[in-house]
Amino acid sequence: MDEKHDHRAMFSSERGHDGFVERSRRIKMAAEMGLARSSRGRHWSRALRRRLLRRKGATSGGSCGCKDDSSSSKTVEELGVGENEDDAVEVEARVHALQRLVPGGEELGVERLFEETADYIEALQGQVSAMRALACLLDELERDKRVMSG
Amino acid sequence: MEKEGFWGQQWQATGAKLPPELNSGSAASDQLPQCFLNLNWKQPMAHDADFESALSSLVSSPCSNPPASADGSSIGELIGRLGGICNSNDISASSPYPSADASCYSTPLNSPPKLNLSVMDHRQQGRGGPPMPVNRVPGPQLGPFSAEPGFEDGAARLSCFAGRSSGSFAGQFGFLDPGNLSEASRSQCPKAGFGSCVGVGQSRSERPAHLEMKMRPKIDGSSTAEESEVGNGPEESSLSDRMTAEASSLRGITDNNSGKWKTATKRKGRRAPLSSSATNPPANMTEEESSDAKRCKTADRKGGAKNEVAKPKTEKNGHPGHREGKDNDHQPPEPPKDYIHVRARRGQATDAHSLAERVRREKISKRMKFLQDLVPGCNKVTGKAVMLDEIINYVQSLQRQIEFLSMKLATLNPQTDVSMENLLRKDIYQSRGPMPQPVFPAEIGTVLSYAHQPQTIALQSIVTSGLEAQFSLNSLQSSLRQSQSLQHATTDAYTDASSQLGGLWEDDLQNVAQTGFGQNHGQTHTGHLKIEL
Repeated sequence: MDEKHDHRAMFSSERGHDGFVERSRRIKMAAEMGLARSSRGRHWSRALRRRLLRRKGATSGGSCGCKDDSSSSKTVEELGVGENEDDAVEVEARVHALQRLVPGGEELGVERLFEETADYIEALQGQVSAMRALACLLDELERDKRVMSG
Repeated sequence: MEKEGFWGQQWQATGAKLPPELNSGSAASDQLPQCFLNLNWKQPMAHDADFESALSSLVSSPCSNPPASADGSSIGELIGRLGGICNSNDISASSPYPSADASCYSTPLNSPPKLNLSVMDHRQQGRGGPPMPVNRVPGPQLGPFSAEPGFEDGAARLSCFAGRSSGSFAGQFGFLDPGNLSEASRSQCPKAGFGSCVGVGQSRSERPAHLEMKMRPKIDGSSTAEESEVGNGPEESSLSDRMTAEASSLRGITDNNSGKWKTATKRKGRRAPLSSSATNPPANMTEEESSDAKRCKTADRKGGAKNEVAKPKTEKNGHPGHREGKDNDHQPPEPPKDYIHVRARRGQATDAHSLAERVRREKISKRMKFLQDLVPGCNKVTGKAVMLDEIINYVQSLQRQIEFLSMKLATLNPQTDVSMENLLRKDIYQSRGPMPQPVFPAEIGTVLSYAHQPQTIALQSIVTSGLEAQFSLNSLQSSLRQSQSLQHATTDAYTDASSQLGGLWEDDLQNVAQTGFGQNHGQTHTGHLKIEL
């Protein structure tokens, strides 16, 4: 029976490379959904949910009560107190990059962006640790399974 | 010295009055500052050296007083109380941010503990007697301020002055040899809890930690000009505020003297138009608001003579000074209301736009500081661009980690039904056991993840629960090793699960899981899944 299992496992893995890819994508999406769910009420989490739902093809349940204090008009120059032009440009480029990273960041001004970034980072950290723990758990399970069946 | 004689007289006169007044509290402030005020009057533009020597003599004179200890203790109490203000001012002023943007929004994370420490240290200093009432955390969160702010202000001024002169206050309080000026001031200031005594240029101190935090290492004289100004400015303002609150009669004197005080302190390093500032500050003082936020903000002032002139203009608080004084009386220093009462910094434009700008910039820098704490290894980095770089890298690395982990989970996920069955059998049902709640979600997650389609749901639930309740992996593993028969577990597990899950999971999570289970209805391990839920 073990061999059968192994065989099947191998077989499926070979055959299921695409399946694997698909599965990992789904898992990732699930993880992101979990991430978005875990901290509701944040702008980035709402944006993330919208993005995921869009990908799933569903209409976004836009409970978007978010008001951007929309400092989108506020530019990076306001960030620097007296930085040179070059600095300001550099900083602005980075702020844009950050905006792209953080879901929903493009609409936010610098202030809000930093807030959301902080929250996003915290949520990401939590998710990474959760997923890592899960991976360890599954590892253990696999090992136990092999031990039990072997 | 004639000065000494004069001052000694003043001192003794005031000192005699002090003890009883000190106890009462409010009136004392009149006395203390009075002597200083007199001092100021007599030496309006005293040269620094003369000033300091005079001060030291003034300070030392009380030593000779028989009731020195009593006076000292009472004064010590005064100083202690004032220390709070100075501490707060200085701490806010000494934020790690470049001086240009020194903000009194130095994270509350940073300021209170250190403040507490310093305060506690002062209390422990064996000051001659009076328990220092500095048992509050000064700073922007100046809630528990004593009801004698003016009192404190007087003491602050006094101590700071003494500090500057490396006064023998220390000697009086039995801290250090009066002869050793720098040391005395050094020790005294921290003991008095005066960050503002920074002006004395004490880089080495008995308690370097506090001092470093409270006072930036300052060299007597020039470099400290700004700091001392900054440190004294807020004091003065607060002092003057308190003064007006406490004794209206003194107000005129206070204002004048504070102005001169400021002038004198500024002379340390600033070639500012003192004459003009001398006249301006009084007006400024009266109009100043006493809130700590304001003081903090004044501490943020940059160098420049314009501030003197700018202050009244920038004063957004339109209340007349006396009214503010009364406010002081009634309330302890209020938390900063920076959207209204923003003080212009020195040398900066004072129109509403720039003020709002500055507030925004301070907010932004505060948030950047927070991000700095969040991102590991960012403490040494300075500069916005580099910080942002680090933050971006960190976010990217986190996202990549998640991707990698999700791929790993995909590989770990058993691909065959059989294995899944095994898994389910083996792992899931320790519901019997005294399973800690955090364990449950993980297991359920496991179950769900092995249950084919609602994989996504499973992971969501796992992740969510993982985020909300940290699993203990050990307990998980131990529970995993238990093997329980499926059938036995079934009904029991169900009740157990539901009861345990009740409080833990989000509602929608449960719904999701249930729908997931619903999908699995037809399958063999459905029973298990149901139970899990």
